[in-house]
Amino acid sequence: MNKRDFIAIGVVVLLSVLGFVFFALKGSGGQTVKISVGARVYGTYPLSENRELKIKTDAGYNLVEIKNGRVFVKDADCKDKSCVKQGEISGGSIVCLPHKLVVEVTGEGDFDAVAR
Amino acid sequence: MKRIIPLLLLVIILCGCSVTSTYSGSFFAMDTYMTITVCGNNPEKAVKKAEARVKKLDEAFSAHNKKSGVYKLNKNGSAELEPDAVELLSLALNNYRITDGAFNPAMLSVTELWGFPDKNYKVPSENEIKSAHKNVKPEKITVKNNTVKLNNKGMKIDFGAIAKGYTSDKLIDTLKKEGIKSALVNLGGNVAVLGGKPDGSDWAVAVENPDKKGSYLATLKIRDKSVITSGGYERYFKKNGKVYHHILNPKTGHPAESSLKSVTIVGKNGTYCDALSTALFVMGKEKALRFWAENGLDFDVILYTENGGLFVTEGVSDIINSDFDYKVVKRSDYE
Repeated sequence: MNKRDFIAIGVVVLLSVLGFVFFALKGSGGQTVKISVGARVYGTYPLSENRELKIKTDAGYNLVEIKNGRVFVKDADCKDKSCVKQGEISGGSIVCLPHKLVVEVTGEGDFDAVAR
Repeated sequence: MKRIIPLLLLVIILCGCSVTSTYSGSFFAMDTYMTITVCGNNPEKAVKKAEARVKKLDEAFSAHNKKSGVYKLNKNGSAELEPDAVELLSLALNNYRITDGAFNPAMLSVTELWGFPDKNYKVPSENEIKSAHKNVKPEKITVKNNTVKLNNKGMKIDFGAIAKGYTSDKLIDTLKKEGIKSALVNLGGNVAVLGGKPDGSDWAVAVENPDKKGSYLATLKIRDKSVITSGGYERYFKKNGKVYHHILNPKTGHPAESSLKSVTIVGKNGTYCDALSTALFVMGKEKALRFWAENGLDFDVILYTENGGLFVTEGVSDIINSDFDYKVVKRSDYE
């Protein structure tokens, strides 16, 4: 191999790394909490900002709180309160089946899915 | 200059999925929340096809949808089922046999007594359990063409502990037929992946910690595999200070008391993984690990016990990452 081959390989590796970094960073910017009800997105919020969200729909009521980088359902008027029991998360999702409410933490995570 | 074009192509390939695109679709089906993520050419079309397939399977397998063959079968003792439901029934009965009844698809009449399907929880009397339980005899079920007969009054079948695994297998097939080589199917925590991630690396699937939602027992690096967990921690009710979870021991009709908190199965076949996650939970640690040692050439197991012990079988020991102290179980331990 001559000098030009090494330069060419170097350029390829550099461009690949840049490309990889670009696509890895694209659309990131910290973790976000996406809340949806049925097929409708209710809102998207940064996980790093504390806030309380009262979500009232025809199906019912859920109180979602984002606090200290974690999100949880504080209260709900569904029958089994399974969403409240699911506790705090900083990755993955909380689902309230009776209200079709999904609280999903998206963005930079260490994994792609949670088996449960 | 001639070299530039292949080099640029190489750059594009090394950048991963950037020339194709990724699409994620989420929806409710089978009483849970599902997400299908696909990378490839026209991923949206593939996801829509997969979603339509789920809806069809949901209708075929549901025990409470009045249009489903399973509902009619449970009501009348005999019915024609969709071909998918017939296939699933035969797989379910096969798993019943190989697990010596620890997996049992004919327990619905007992599960209903506890109120798990409609969430009207109650503790049934011993007599109620006995009289429903004595009718649970999967051996009596006959299948001829697509017509299934239960041949036992009071027995009802349900696919709740196997349908999502089967569905994930069928979805992976659907996506493959669409030419997709990279996908993740998450059916309410039953996870299956096709190939590796768009960037060529392995998919990372975390196993939830039953003691603390939002924290994880371990992360697994996988490709072309399913990861399916069963545990009493997801669906349960409390009465007079006692916890009653939804996984019944088919031998007693009561919630399984196996001193396990969760069982995760990792393997190529989602249907098998789904049925085994329930069966091994019912079996308890020793029986479960012996079952793995004798049958587990195509699956691996992660057990989490009530006193916080984590046990992983040797096949996953090199793809697992965990902050817990865990013990690697070897086949040779059981010879």
